[in-house]
Amino acid sequence: MRKWMLVLMFGILMAFAAGCGSKESSETSNASEDTNNTEAKVEGSLHFYTSQPDADAAKLVEGFQAKYPDVKVETFRSGTEEVISKIKAEKMAGKIQADVLLVADAVTFESLKEEDMLQAYETEEATEIPSELIDPDHTYFGTKVMATGLVVNTENVKEMPTSWNALTSKEVKGKIIMPSPLYSGAAAYNLGVFTRQDTFGWDFYKNIAANDVTVTKGNGDVLKGVAGGEKDYGMIVDYLVTRAKAEGSPVELIYPEEGVPVITEPIGIMKDAQNVEAAKAFVDFVLSEDGQKLAAELGYTPIRKGIEAPEGLKTIDEIKVLSADVQELYKTRDADKKEFETVISE
Amino acid sequence: MNSHVQSSERKTEALSPFSFSYFTRNWWGVPGFLLLIFVFLLPVCRLVWLSVSNGEEVGLMLYQEVLLEKATWRTIQNTIIITISSTVLSLVIGVGLAFTMAYMNIRAKKWLQLLIFLPFLIPSYISTLAWVQFFGGNGPIQFLFNESVNLYSMGGIIFVLGLSHYPLVYLMSVEVFRRIPRELKYAASTSGASGGVVFRKVILPMALPGIASGGILAFLSNIDNFGIPAFLGIPANIRVLSTYIYEQIIGYGPSAFSRAAVLSVILGVIALIGTVVQWAIIRKSNVSETTARDTEPRYYLTRGWRNVAESALWIFLLLTTLVPLIVMASTSFIRAYGLSLSWENLSLKNYRYLLFEDAKTGSAIGNSVTLALATMLICMVIGTVIAYIRFKKPSFFVKASEIIVTIPYALPGTVFALAIILMWLQPLPGVQPGVYGTIWILLIAYITRFTVLQMRGSLTAFSQIDPSMEEAARTSGARAYVKWKSILFPLLMPGVLSGAALVFLTALTELTVSSLLWSSGSETIGVVIFSFEQAGYSTYSTAFSTLIVTAVLTMGILFVLFEKIWKKRVMKSDSN
Repeated sequence: MRKWMLVLMFGILMAFAAGCGSKESSETSNASEDTNNTEAKVEGSLHFYTSQPDADAAKLVEGFQAKYPDVKVETFRSGTEEVISKIKAEKMAGKIQADVLLVADAVTFESLKEEDMLQAYETEEATEIPSELIDPDHTYFGTKVMATGLVVNTENVKEMPTSWNALTSKEVKGKIIMPSPLYSGAAAYNLGVFTRQDTFGWDFYKNIAANDVTVTKGNGDVLKGVAGGEKDYGMIVDYLVTRAKAEGSPVELIYPEEGVPVITEPIGIMKDAQNVEAAKAFVDFVLSEDGQKLAAELGYTPIRKGIEAPEGLKTIDEIKVLSADVQELYKTRDADKKEFETVISE
Repeated sequence: MNSHVQSSERKTEALSPFSFSYFTRNWWGVPGFLLLIFVFLLPVCRLVWLSVSNGEEVGLMLYQEVLLEKATWRTIQNTIIITISSTVLSLVIGVGLAFTMAYMNIRAKKWLQLLIFLPFLIPSYISTLAWVQFFGGNGPIQFLFNESVNLYSMGGIIFVLGLSHYPLVYLMSVEVFRRIPRELKYAASTSGASGGVVFRKVILPMALPGIASGGILAFLSNIDNFGIPAFLGIPANIRVLSTYIYEQIIGYGPSAFSRAAVLSVILGVIALIGTVVQWAIIRKSNVSETTARDTEPRYYLTRGWRNVAESALWIFLLLTTLVPLIVMASTSFIRAYGLSLSWENLSLKNYRYLLFEDAKTGSAIGNSVTLALATMLICMVIGTVIAYIRFKKPSFFVKASEIIVTIPYALPGTVFALAIILMWLQPLPGVQPGVYGTIWILLIAYITRFTVLQMRGSLTAFSQIDPSMEEAARTSGARAYVKWKSILFPLLMPGVLSGAALVFLTALTELTVSSLLWSSGSETIGVVIFSFEQAGYSTYSTAFSTLIVTAVLTMGILFVLFEKIWKKRVMKSDSN
């Protein structure tokens, strides 16, 4: 018995020792990075936290490393909520590991900015990006344009709608689906924007609720519901539809004529970033012409002026954008969500 | 029976956990206990601390705020109703199956047993989707009975949860049933007890340790489950604590985290109460019996009834495991999601992508298998050691250890992962062991979370051994090695192994905890599936899950075949 216990404890101690050992070595490598940073050399390791789909994040990193082969990018990818939770937990535990962050929407970044977790960066690339899609204080920058439009099942619906009214007309009762603002950051953003438009307001959501809408956790579930034929119409982020359509799913994307809310998947540098030079180079690359062309190749609408959108998507100039003040959205997000709950449960 | 009662009383008198000599005799007990506290309890303590402190002052303000809200109470009520009902459902199915499989003269038991393992491998979002389609407007139920069942309801959540977790009850109790001496049944029957009375008065009380172990695990799995209530509950506006906590975490506001911590503590308290209640039930029936494992049937059905029973079993198991499996597999062979299942839409491109184009698939499988194996081995040691000490000297500290090990499993995955980050980035002020951001953090997290599965398996195994067996071995002069090899090991093996299998399979496809803790190079099967699913690539994620299920199923089939061949050879050599 004793032997067992001894072996176990020895094993655990060894694991600890190994852990401590590797920590020391990583510290020394950090130290050498610091000295290099003063010479503004772009190298070392860069911790990149993102909510982009895995394959896209990999392509982005690949493109960056082709340009900066000395930087080793360590990617952490998860849902926006998981990424932010992780960063907040790291902060509470005393040390944020992330250098660069790229997640779904500006409101999320606004909350980080409010808590003084971001640093400003004056990048030259920003001049080519529409100024309303970057933070005026330059702590974060939009990287692409993702509109929320309508998805329609082409096997069940023959006449394509042109307006958001498609969701509120009586004929579609029980046939509509939308992501929950309580779970999806993009849906929470849309909620804030729609309810602040004179033409929509809370009545829009009340009418949708009265139409027996199915509320799902995320945009992926909306696509599944409509592509699978359980529902006919859905509210959804654009690129999911064009991708599924390109693969052959029976779906069509509609940009309603009233306009669409747009999220921008911003990128920003953490205040406590350890490899600031590499982080800056990374932000530059994402916003550069090469980086934006890469985004378009991956199926997203680029944010930089003068670069073409992939087939089926509209460029930022062609879209009528519905927007609202990001600061205000950030401040009222909780209240909006609460209000949504009461509207939907009535 | 009397002698057992005596021996257990003697056992209770002999221990004096608070005495000084206890500590000096068991010098390793102290650091061992401290280690348990450090690994299993400290992460939870960090979480509790978060719930009472907002950085400046310490107090229960947040509890007051949260508990005064109506929404909280409605959520707690939902959680309790759903958890208890689904646990009862799991218990009924699990015990029924275990009883039938242990005692009836059913054929092809090994194959049936293989099917019972499957629900562990199918991600819950798949089985949920499968059941929704099965009962939905276009499904077979509508076709047969012209009526569809709405699973987006309390009943639906209870149904899917109960079906997902009955294998825990089955695995924990089937061995116990086999160990109950058949003589007891004969004795009761000849004294005139009817079949029902024998079951209620003799078999059930003796099987309680196993049933309760399974019940506790099912209860904890039901209370912390996120996937099923998220999928079925959000559209119906039904909230349980696990989904409510997730909503709080993504609330981003400054107090969102602390509110989530408060709710987690409430959830933990409910889980503890549930565990303690079931614990009290086992205590009442502190019966231990030692018999060889007896796999011979005890109830012989006539041919007709056997056919009925066998068909019922096969239909139930095929339905509950194959319905989700077929939905999953058929999605994985389709070119694009939503296309109908017809020849021109079939394609192997999803599999081709996974096997030959995506570099992550291979490394994820490698990582997950390694992690699951390492977790299984370490949990096997820790869980069995705790169970062994509990069996020999059930002191206050051992009972405390039992609870300490149980809590991490009861927390929702997201909350547990956050607690692990809070703990292991800087376990003690100024100490950064550097495990965070490596594959080691996943190993630590898995061990912390899944040891309870092994412990329950081992506890059940030990509860079947009378302490006098060990004494007998000692007094006959058997040394420790011999004692273990020829007496304890053979008796314990089946129970310990079913716990180990549980740990392995759960760790292999773990999803929520990994999605917060992985780092580049250490992606697991669960992380890859989560990524595909989030990016809208359901065809890839289902193809990947199908691959995993097929691989494990193949291994299981090979194992059963191997066992058969091996038995035949041994039997042959015996008869020679």
